[in-house]
Amino acid sequence: MATYSNPHWLLCHIRNSFISTDDTGMCETVMVSDDLPKHYLKKFQGNGTRNFQQQQQRRSMIAGQQPPQPLHHRNYDPPLQEVDFICYPGLDQSDDEEVDLTAQSFDIQMYPEVGAHRFRSNTAQKLEEMDRARRNAAQTKRVNYEDDVVKPESNDFFQRKPVKPQPPLDTDKGEGLTGGSKLKSKLSLKLANSPKHVENKFQRYAEFDGTSQIGVPVKSIKIFISMLPEKEKNYPLKICVLSHAKIYQVIGLVCYKASIEFPDLPLKSVRHYGLYMTEDNDDLEEFPPLDNDEPFSKFGFSHLTLAERKNVPSTAGPTKSMTSEDDKARLAAMAISSHNNSTAEGDDRDDVDGSHNNVVADGRVDDLEERILSQDDMLEAPVYRTYTLNIIDKKFFKTEVILGISGERIEIDQHKHGKFWTKQRAVTYPIDAVAHCEIVEKRTMKAVLRIWLKSASAINAINLNDTKSAGLSVTAHSPTSPGHYPHFSSPFNFLGSSTNTASTSSTSHPTSSSSSTQSIRFKHYDFETTLPTAEQIFKKLNCILEMTSSEVRREFLSIKQRKLEKSQAKKHLKL
Amino acid sequence: METTGDQLILATGGYDHTIKLWQAHTGNCIQSLKFVETSQVNALDRTPDKNRLAACGYQCIRLYDLKTNMTVINFESVQKNVTRLGFQEDGKWMFTAGEDHRVRIWDMLSDSPHCSRVFDCQAPVNAACLHPNQVEIAMGAQNGGVYLWDVKSEVHEQLIPEVDASIQDVAISPDGLYMAAVNNKGNCYIWSLSSSPNQKLSTLQPKLKIAAHKRYVLRCKFSPDSRLLVTTSGDGTARVWKTDDFTMWRELSIENSWVWDAAFSADSKYLFTASSDAIARLWKLETKNPERKYTGHTKAITALSFKDEIVTE
Repeated sequence: MATYSNPHWLLCHIRNSFISTDDTGMCETVMVSDDLPKHYLKKFQGNGTRNFQQQQQRRSMIAGQQPPQPLHHRNYDPPLQEVDFICYPGLDQSDDEEVDLTAQSFDIQMYPEVGAHRFRSNTAQKLEEMDRARRNAAQTKRVNYEDDVVKPESNDFFQRKPVKPQPPLDTDKGEGLTGGSKLKSKLSLKLANSPKHVENKFQRYAEFDGTSQIGVPVKSIKIFISMLPEKEKNYPLKICVLSHAKIYQVIGLVCYKASIEFPDLPLKSVRHYGLYMTEDNDDLEEFPPLDNDEPFSKFGFSHLTLAERKNVPSTAGPTKSMTSEDDKARLAAMAISSHNNSTAEGDDRDDVDGSHNNVVADGRVDDLEERILSQDDMLEAPVYRTYTLNIIDKKFFKTEVILGISGERIEIDQHKHGKFWTKQRAVTYPIDAVAHCEIVEKRTMKAVLRIWLKSASAINAINLNDTKSAGLSVTAHSPTSPGHYPHFSSPFNFLGSSTNTASTSSTSHPTSSSSSTQSIRFKHYDFETTLPTAEQIFKKLNCILEMTSSEVRREFLSIKQRKLEKSQAKKHLKL
Repeated sequence: METTGDQLILATGGYDHTIKLWQAHTGNCIQSLKFVETSQVNALDRTPDKNRLAACGYQCIRLYDLKTNMTVINFESVQKNVTRLGFQEDGKWMFTAGEDHRVRIWDMLSDSPHCSRVFDCQAPVNAACLHPNQVEIAMGAQNGGVYLWDVKSEVHEQLIPEVDASIQDVAISPDGLYMAAVNNKGNCYIWSLSSSPNQKLSTLQPKLKIAAHKRYVLRCKFSPDSRLLVTTSGDGTARVWKTDDFTMWRELSIENSWVWDAAFSADSKYLFTASSDAIARLWKLETKNPERKYTGHTKAITALSFKDEIVTE
């Protein structure tokens, strides 16, 4: 960002953007001869470097030994003067355009050796090709086919040689025409020495090799092969593919090339591998592999990595996770540990965890649910998603809000103006403050989702302007009200709708937020939405909660458990 | 990767304007060379030192260095198709045959190759082949003419085995006893060759006519031990004939394809074929078993070259 205040950088950037994106080559033709940033650079070189050095000194005093970075001009922002034309360090030493850093935009990486990545103008490509052709032509002897005949000077240029008669067959073997001879060709020997040589199983992908193809569009790319030993895998395999090849065919070709290049490398069949986006340093990116059936021409990567596919179920669509591989691993580990915990705890709860509710409501995920929560869900749960749904205020007012859920926090944003409250703002709660999520009402079209939170008085809701009441006064909660735990209550009974939730607690108050007997108080938000969305949120949020397993949640669950036991006991008493 | 030296290389070329070099015993492609963009590959041959590969096509003749994979010699102003080329056994000279009616001899010893002999067939030349005595060249032309030409003394003989038929290929057995010519009617003609020590041109004695195929015959070649003759055809077969009685010994079939070219291993036990299904194959003749497939071309393969050698055990 800081570089945007650097005029020199901007000039370079604009210039390079024009040159590199103009396919006609016109911009390059016009601009190449007139390097404005360079002119300025030359003009104000002295000032710029001096200025820079001062800055540099100042910064190094603060930051110690940091590598030079683009300049910051945060402190002052005067009108542009000549003295302010500041360039990057070291530029004044270089006159050669090729190595001149100013000649490049820092956003556009140049890989001159990889045609596919470096997007050159047609002119540049043509020139380069002509140059290469010229260089090659210089090494080629040219002979005119139609030249006059020059008779050989030497008389024995054409020399008649005696014809070697064929050795007679030792014995007449009839059909064994080729079997009797003791002569062996090099080919036979080589074939005999590799008797176990089976046809390369990737052989059929060889036809997608684009090397030296003429008249067919081809693409060159470097592929890192992650299965190779450490020493070798940092060197990518250069391959050239016919552009129309599908990704799986490219994988086949890479396997084919790899099997030739590294005969000792054990390779599985093509479907076990995927092409992953990669950086030059061979670090796998967190993105899913390229889609097998896409044509290779669709992608413009200069490097890719061939790696074994992770055990992704084929039904799962392309995941859009933006978390890093490390995070994923960590989350997965957490998911496993929390799963273990929950099953361990589950045993002694089985007797009380009843058939009261067909909605899984107590946070302990039963076995069936556990199976549904595949690893994929676990991994995807922390990904930020938003849902549009209605928040239910004061028993019956519904207001449209956007609920955003990520691994770190949830946010509720009332994007439209409220009906009764003018100043509705987005509130954000850290995920640690979220205790539980449940579906309290299920109907064919609608469902009511409830999210339990630690009460506002106890947490610091992240609200930029108003922290004292957690901002969201729309929800009907009063932390001070003497509530009790309304776990199985439905606040919507008064609407006369039949609900699936079993209302076992006669004393429940529809709008009450419970306060616990201990220090933590809870409140809840109710949302109305469609059943699928509700289930999606339910699944997602509980997945996150399972993984994080916060203090608040544990507290909430234990209170809930106690309430449940109490109500059970009451029931028994009544009976 | 080493492309010459100890490696046994099969070179193939065809309608995809590409020449591919294969590791013969594994079937792996080790190099692809761009040929001329406007031309298929009509014929391929390696120089006797195996370092260079010569290829000819429509209006072009090129020699590639197999170490650098660069074009080392390019012929210019070539008219029409050049259909065949080959080298004298010491690499002293190269012959080319073309549809410009000419067969030319190129001095390859001089700094820049130049033409030392020309023979005019008066019809487009489809085929040419060098006699093992290294001075006589057999030629086949589109007008049905078969010629034998002594390069040294420049005497020649002309035969027309069948009128209104185009000779597609000619071959002379390595023992110098037979000459074969095949035509577009599917027929194969065999002559006996004989020569006495002071004779300039071998004597041709018509021996046999074989109805080798039902359709176009594209190539004929004798095996290195002269005991076999292969004919390849547009009927999707390559047929191997015994030269002692010229009866068919093996038929190799590639369905729905034209078999454009073939080459024997040095011990005459294996045969390579090039066909229009873009696959080159290696057959074990004894079993008719396809031992290797060479896949990678995108269009028909029309020419191949294989230089094997005999190893003494």
